Amino acid sequence: MRILLAEDDPLLGDGLRAGLRQLGFQVDWVQDGLAAERELSSGDYAAAVLDLGLPLKDGLAVLRDLRQRKIATPILVLTARDAVPDRIRGLDLGADDYVVKPVDLHELGARLRSLVRRAHGQLQDALRWGPVLLEPAARQVSLQGAAVPLSTREFDLLQVLMLNAGRVLSREQLEQQLYSWGHEVESNAIEVHIHHLRRKLQPELIQTLRGVGYTVPRQAAPA
Amino acid sequence: MSRPQAPRSLQARLLALLLALLCAVWLVTALMTWIDARHELDELLDSHLAQAAALLVVQQTRAEDDDVADVPMLHKYAPKVAFQVFHEGQLVMRSPNVDPTPLATINAGFSTVQRDDGSTWRVFATRGAADDVQVYVAEQDDSRSAILQAVLRSVLLPPLFALPLLALLIWWAVRRELKPLSQLSRQLKDRDGRQAQALAPLPLDQLPMEIHPVVEALNGLFQRLDQMLSAEQRFTADAAHELRTPIAAIRAQAQVAQGAGSDHAQRERALQATLAGCDRASRLVDQLLTLARLEANPGGSAAADAGRPVDLRAVAQRTAAELAPAALARQQDLALDAASAALVPGPELLIGVLLRNLLDNALRYSPTGAQITMQIDSEAGHTVLSVEDSGAGLSEPEMARLGERFYRVAGQAQPGSGLGWSIVRRIAQATGAQLQLSRSERLGGLAVTVRWPTPLKP
Repeated sequence: MRILLAEDDPLLGDGLRAGLRQLGFQVDWVQDGLAAERELSSGDYAAAVLDLGLPLKDGLAVLRDLRQRKIATPILVLTARDAVPDRIRGLDLGADDYVVKPVDLHELGARLRSLVRRAHGQLQDALRWGPVLLEPAARQVSLQGAAVPLSTREFDLLQVLMLNAGRVLSREQLEQQLYSWGHEVESNAIEVHIHHLRRKLQPELIQTLRGVGYTVPRQAAPA
Repeated sequence: MSRPQAPRSLQARLLALLLALLCAVWLVTALMTWIDARHELDELLDSHLAQAAALLVVQQTRAEDDDVADVPMLHKYAPKVAFQVFHEGQLVMRSPNVDPTPLATINAGFSTVQRDDGSTWRVFATRGAADDVQVYVAEQDDSRSAILQAVLRSVLLPPLFALPLLALLIWWAVRRELKPLSQLSRQLKDRDGRQAQALAPLPLDQLPMEIHPVVEALNGLFQRLDQMLSAEQRFTADAAHELRTPIAAIRAQAQVAQGAGSDHAQRERALQATLAGCDRASRLVDQLLTLARLEANPGGSAAADAGRPVDLRAVAQRTAAELAPAALARQQDLALDAASAALVPGPELLIGVLLRNLLDNALRYSPTGAQITMQIDSEAGHTVLSVEDSGAGLSEPEMARLGERFYRVAGQAQPGSGLGWSIVRRIAQATGAQLQLSRSERLGGLAVTVRWPTPLKP
């Protein structure tokens, strides 16, 4: 899952980026409000962690403007402002979650996963497609109860596809969701990962629409 | 045992004072009326006596009548007046209420005599032109007193009835006019200290002019209190806010180290960052404490030392030596340019903190390899310190905002809280210095100039 981190403090930003990466997130880090707004407007992020006291443009203003422009990316506000009116204002302006610093990294990860899940209308963390079970928190995939070892990229790709079950995602969309900045994406990387996933799990799990993209069909459960 | 003095009621005192003064004025007026009335009455009645005597003399001269005549009682005052007419030593006429003995011993003019029955009489004696007629006309003193008493009664009695009524009216008027005061005190009493409007200014429009200065002073006090309170609240909030971020950073970095697993390089890096976060948090705490102390007591804890001149050059050398390792680590060129000792007002502790913050800022926000110069000059009664660097400098709006608490210039890679400048500003204020920011002409970066009035040598 690709996450945008907007935090102006160098030490905290660095720590959060490293910590979220350890938890399996792809993290892009920006240090001011304008960059955060720009990235969230154009990039395809599963969720964002937004500090409020950002230089150039305050986090709340970023939040308000994004929501006014109907950009629905789940946003977790991470701030030192803990007064109840601040929380209320943050949530009313369109924040999906409001966390006061300091925060436990694992909790932050869980909250982000929960935001992404809810954004996709899922009630439980685990994603199931017939015999395939994907557990985001444990980063584990099993086929008929037996664990299947997957690489980080394979896992992320499967998660994105399963989260968007029933939707067709283009290769570009998948690349944007999977790769943070600074990663060179080889032209056939997605095809290779899809191929591996089909081989390790079930061939019919991921369907290809040539020239359009890939999809995990909804309710296509051959029990 | 002396009881604590009861609070004085303005209303009761006004009422008592007004009533007492009113009574006093009335009494004096009555006394003056009485004295005046008695004087006038004496003159009037004496002149009547004289007139009656003159009439008797004239009558006796004209009518050579030898009768001893008793005059009939014609009026209720009649028993109180008496007369005798003697002709050549012989009583020729008298009123019935006197015996033949002459009424007075003198034979001309007024006199007051005591008669055998104890009554006091006012007597006028006169003689005819030929000295053969002697006339006495007398009037009993009692009648005068009766008239006077009647006069006095008419002066004193109505006010006596009016007094309670007046007291009531004065009480009502005083109470009515002092109502704004009691309303004001009720308003103040009813204020709840926890409510936001507890320190709101009191409205002036309903109040009499005399109370305006008091209420204005109160409003001024409220305003200052309000400012102090909100400054205090802002400081607490800001301090908590500023401490949360470094603590969050420490926590995040520590968790990264914990989760690094077999990645030793990442663990090492995260641990380094954790330590850096701790250093930053403790520096922030130091700065917050310094600032809090400065705000509470600008003279600082070294108040005994305040005002004693400090050698700026010595302090600058010491500070530069302390910070030199940090400068050397980044290949920064740090130089102190001071021809001679230069005195500035103390306390030394504050001057040291100011220099350290200025120099620390210059080193911190200048790039690797930058040049930083401290220069100390003396000119026309002033000691001038300038700290210049070859860094990027600041734009005009950035310079204007610098020193706002927790303001940080955007895009800083260096961690900082924005408190250093607040501290520098407060110390400059406390030691009577002027602080000026500009672009360095020599080095191109930021130039900070501090001008102290040079103190006299000890």
